[in-house]
Amino acid sequence: MADPVCYIKLNRNVELTEADVYIKDIGSIRCADKLVAAKVKSIKVHKFCSAGDSVEAGQETDTQGSGAQKKSAQDGGMPKHSASKSRESARAKGGKMPYEEKRCVVSILKIIELIEEACPGVTVESLGETEVLIERIKVDTHKGWQQALKAFFIAIISFCGTAFTIMAYHNDIGIADVFTRIHEIVMGSEPAGVSALEVAYSVGLSLGIIVFFNHVGGRRLTKDPTPIEVEMRKYETDVNNALVDTAEREGKTIDVE
Amino acid sequence: MWNSLKILLLILFGGSFGLLASAGVFTVLVAVGLIPRFAGKSHTAGQIVLYEEMVILGTVAGGLVSVFARYCHFGEWLVSRGISQAAVQTAGTAAVTFFGLFAGMFIGCLALAIAEMLDSIPIFSRRAGFRHGLGIAVCAMAAGKLCGSLWYFFMEIHEVVK
Repeated sequence: MADPVCYIKLNRNVELTEADVYIKDIGSIRCADKLVAAKVKSIKVHKFCSAGDSVEAGQETDTQGSGAQKKSAQDGGMPKHSASKSRESARAKGGKMPYEEKRCVVSILKIIELIEEACPGVTVESLGETEVLIERIKVDTHKGWQQALKAFFIAIISFCGTAFTIMAYHNDIGIADVFTRIHEIVMGSEPAGVSALEVAYSVGLSLGIIVFFNHVGGRRLTKDPTPIEVEMRKYETDVNNALVDTAEREGKTIDVE
Repeated sequence: MWNSLKILLLILFGGSFGLLASAGVFTVLVAVGLIPRFAGKSHTAGQIVLYEEMVILGTVAGGLVSVFARYCHFGEWLVSRGISQAAVQTAGTAAVTFFGLFAGMFIGCLALAIAEMLDSIPIFSRRAGFRHGLGIAVCAMAAGKLCGSLWYFFMEIHEVVK
């Protein structure tokens, strides 16, 4: 059989709840040979340590490892696949993990190395990112009353803050004077009571925001994402890039030696 | 007839002022990316539509209160409806404290976000050549803002800027 080509597309950022990270978690795999694809998917990339874990114990469980790795290790000499540098430094101190490992950055080269070791002869083609940021999350931090409280808190800040911003803006431009003057110019007299200008301005203000934000009362006007959703994605990309770059600069990226 | 045409003109003016003013104010708010950062920090990105709704409601409320300021004497209205002065005073103080606290948080974030948009902190720290102590610098900045704000209100500096 000709050597199959294994296409791999890494994601930029993945969030996992499990301690063990397999290739199937961090990207998508396409290989004509189904067996190779399955084997590649179940290669273990990394194992997150919990605070206080004995490092030696961690290593033991690693070498017991995933079954796929063991079967595919034909030459017997299993190199330690998933040793991150932080764990190495912890072992150098001869102690336990000083902190809980929350995120790591894995380079595509490391993945290719792992795949080549597991399935010799396979050609790996990377189509996605060159680094993947793996974050370990706890399920319970993403649920419950704490989240609701936070959401409530931010909602209040958004409400009061923008109310204040628009008032400060109106104060800045001296909106009452401007409106009185325009009313005088158009109508030739000082406004008495509520003027049409003020009502129209308020309606225009709300319409403008609703068109700008593209939804009203939770219902979208068009299918486009709202500006804040777009900005959110941008912010996320920036944060991911910053984390990956920081890991690279500190030499903490899990890479080939 | 002539008069209603004039009123129509006023409505046209008001409507277009409002539309463009809100577009301008919100472009700034979105460009500094404050709310995405709130949502990101608190891991509540799922609630972003709620936050946007609150931004809309907040702006509309603030707009109404500041445009129709002469009709928004809620305290006087409550007293005229027969509620005791003391109760209105207490509730009003509580409401104003609540509003001020949260509005202040928003403005504090906005001020630093704008400063950050201009990269003032990275440039400053690079020029000054410090690697550690950024936290202290940020705390000092917050303390400076607090002192400056209190000074501004207690010394009535706003009376000077007229």
